[in-house]
Amino acid sequence: MAKVLIPTPLRQFTAKQDAVTVPGGTVGEVLSALTSQYPDLRKQIFNDEGKLRSFVNVYLNDEDIRYLSKDGTAAKEGDTISLVPSIAGGSTIAAPPSEEALTKDEILRYSRHLIIPEVGMEGQQKLKAAKVLLVGAGGLGAPLGLYLAAAGIGKIGIVDFDVVDFTNLQRQVIHSTADVGRKKIDSAAEKMQGINPSLKIVKHETALSSENALGILKDYDLVVDGTDNFPTRYLVNDACVLLGKPNVYGSIFRFEGQATIFATEGGPCYRCLYPEPPPPGLVPSCAEGGVLGILPGTIGLIQATETVKLILGIGDPLIGRLLLYDALGMKFRELKLRKNPECPVCGEHRTITKLIDYHQFCGVPSPSAPAQETAVNEGEIEVTEVKAKLDRGDQFVLIDVREPHEYKICNIPAAKLIPLGEVPQRLHELDKDADIVIHCKSGMRSAKACGILKQAGFQHVRNMKGGILAWSDKVDPSVPKY
Amino acid sequence: MIRIEPEPWKVMVSHARKTYPNECCGAMLGSSLDGEKLVSVAIPLENAFAGAQAQRYELRPEDLLAADKAARERRMDLIGIYHSHPDCDAYFSKTDLQNSCPWYSFVVLSIQKGEFHHANSWLPNFEQTEAAKEELSY
Repeated sequence: MAKVLIPTPLRQFTAKQDAVTVPGGTVGEVLSALTSQYPDLRKQIFNDEGKLRSFVNVYLNDEDIRYLSKDGTAAKEGDTISLVPSIAGGSTIAAPPSEEALTKDEILRYSRHLIIPEVGMEGQQKLKAAKVLLVGAGGLGAPLGLYLAAAGIGKIGIVDFDVVDFTNLQRQVIHSTADVGRKKIDSAAEKMQGINPSLKIVKHETALSSENALGILKDYDLVVDGTDNFPTRYLVNDACVLLGKPNVYGSIFRFEGQATIFATEGGPCYRCLYPEPPPPGLVPSCAEGGVLGILPGTIGLIQATETVKLILGIGDPLIGRLLLYDALGMKFRELKLRKNPECPVCGEHRTITKLIDYHQFCGVPSPSAPAQETAVNEGEIEVTEVKAKLDRGDQFVLIDVREPHEYKICNIPAAKLIPLGEVPQRLHELDKDADIVIHCKSGMRSAKACGILKQAGFQHVRNMKGGILAWSDKVDPSVPKY
Repeated sequence: MIRIEPEPWKVMVSHARKTYPNECCGAMLGSSLDGEKLVSVAIPLENAFAGAQAQRYELRPEDLLAADKAARERRMDLIGIYHSHPDCDAYFSKTDLQNSCPWYSFVVLSIQKGEFHHANSWLPNFEQTEAAKEELSY
């Protein structure tokens, strides 16, 4: 038995009574007794499947029954049950204010846009009023920066703290050879400003973090994710969801890429697709696995296209669809993405309401943590010591666990090549009591190989710290780095 | 048809201007007779959206419950919800619609550059797919 308070608009279904006392031992029983007494009320509170409508919250006295025992919450005499709608809302990207009118020079510059009816003056003004944040000025950021600048976006923020490196030039076309050693953010901003002098560029020369992300993102209409690591991807996603800003997503690996738009109203987010990050080290980065230099061009320009479409409000945006691109097969495929109602950040019962520690979440060391460069851990050996062993003619086996095509780029002639994937099948080629040193490119894969050997009972296994890159730095500069 | 008396209207507009450039939200109390609604009291409520509030608002159910209680105490009814759209038209956005409720009138105030510009009242449907414009006077 409990008293149910009837909201004003529903009193027409309860013979104008503002409160009805009905029998029942639980909240569920009370509500079902109420709606059988007043059948017209049923449609107001329950949907066709008999579930509470999404906007209805049920309170027992002052508490939401979701946090008690839901339908089974006991209702005693003297208890009051209230039906409270959940209400929220908000405007979306604002219409362009009039001061974004185009100048005569701009009308000339954007004439090929202006004569497309779907863009026109109104669309170009929307682009001019738009504020886009580019996270990363690397492979994806390069085409994005160039084309978004050219398209007439009014304000572009760039987040990057990296320096241009020779290995970037194969794909990051916004940087030129003369820029090697410069900050990417300066090099990119210079090219973009050159293309479009009226573009406002805001440089955020920092690593995006849980501490600064909301503060940086809040000033932009939408975010384009051009990052290459999982912690930042989850960070960008969560920040976009919390702020209600679309996240135009892209990712690349070797010959394949993906693109979609996350975190729009009602659309899925990155966590709906991948609730958990992959185990650390399972998915190689471009630095580890390589990437066709042209690939980020294709994917970045798909992101740029979707960005411009979102701002213009035209076409069919890539929301709820994951576009997969295979450069070798030259094929595009599409997967349907659904919003996960149980998503911890964008679902109905969200558990993530503020930014978390994303490095910990992804199981990777935080960049701010002291680097482990200095100490040689147990089971590791310095490149210089390996060199000394070779020079002394020590009895030991040096194993290179890279791939044959990497071995062709550079190698240490004394090393025996056993690619990591073949190690478990080729253990019989090795002596369990031998002194073994394993190396790869940088030390990641060789660490895994050391683990495999130790598990198999090998006694004296060490990982050559820093791999062949360290060998090139400290032992033999004639060995090319890649 | 919904009519807002001068006193609550002043409260709503000043709440929306004060909250600019963020969105404000609140409850409207009054009476309703055969679809003729009269708002006599406006109660500003806190925007509980956890994030940037320039384009979003969220009402705490507890606050709504308290507003409903306040209405009952004054022998009035909770008849509507108001919120503002800073630098944006007083339309009923998709976000508004998907987080709405068909029981109440939703008054949206457009605040342009910090000043009141125009307002509309909306009546969302059950499925949260459409909202009909309701005649509004103030």
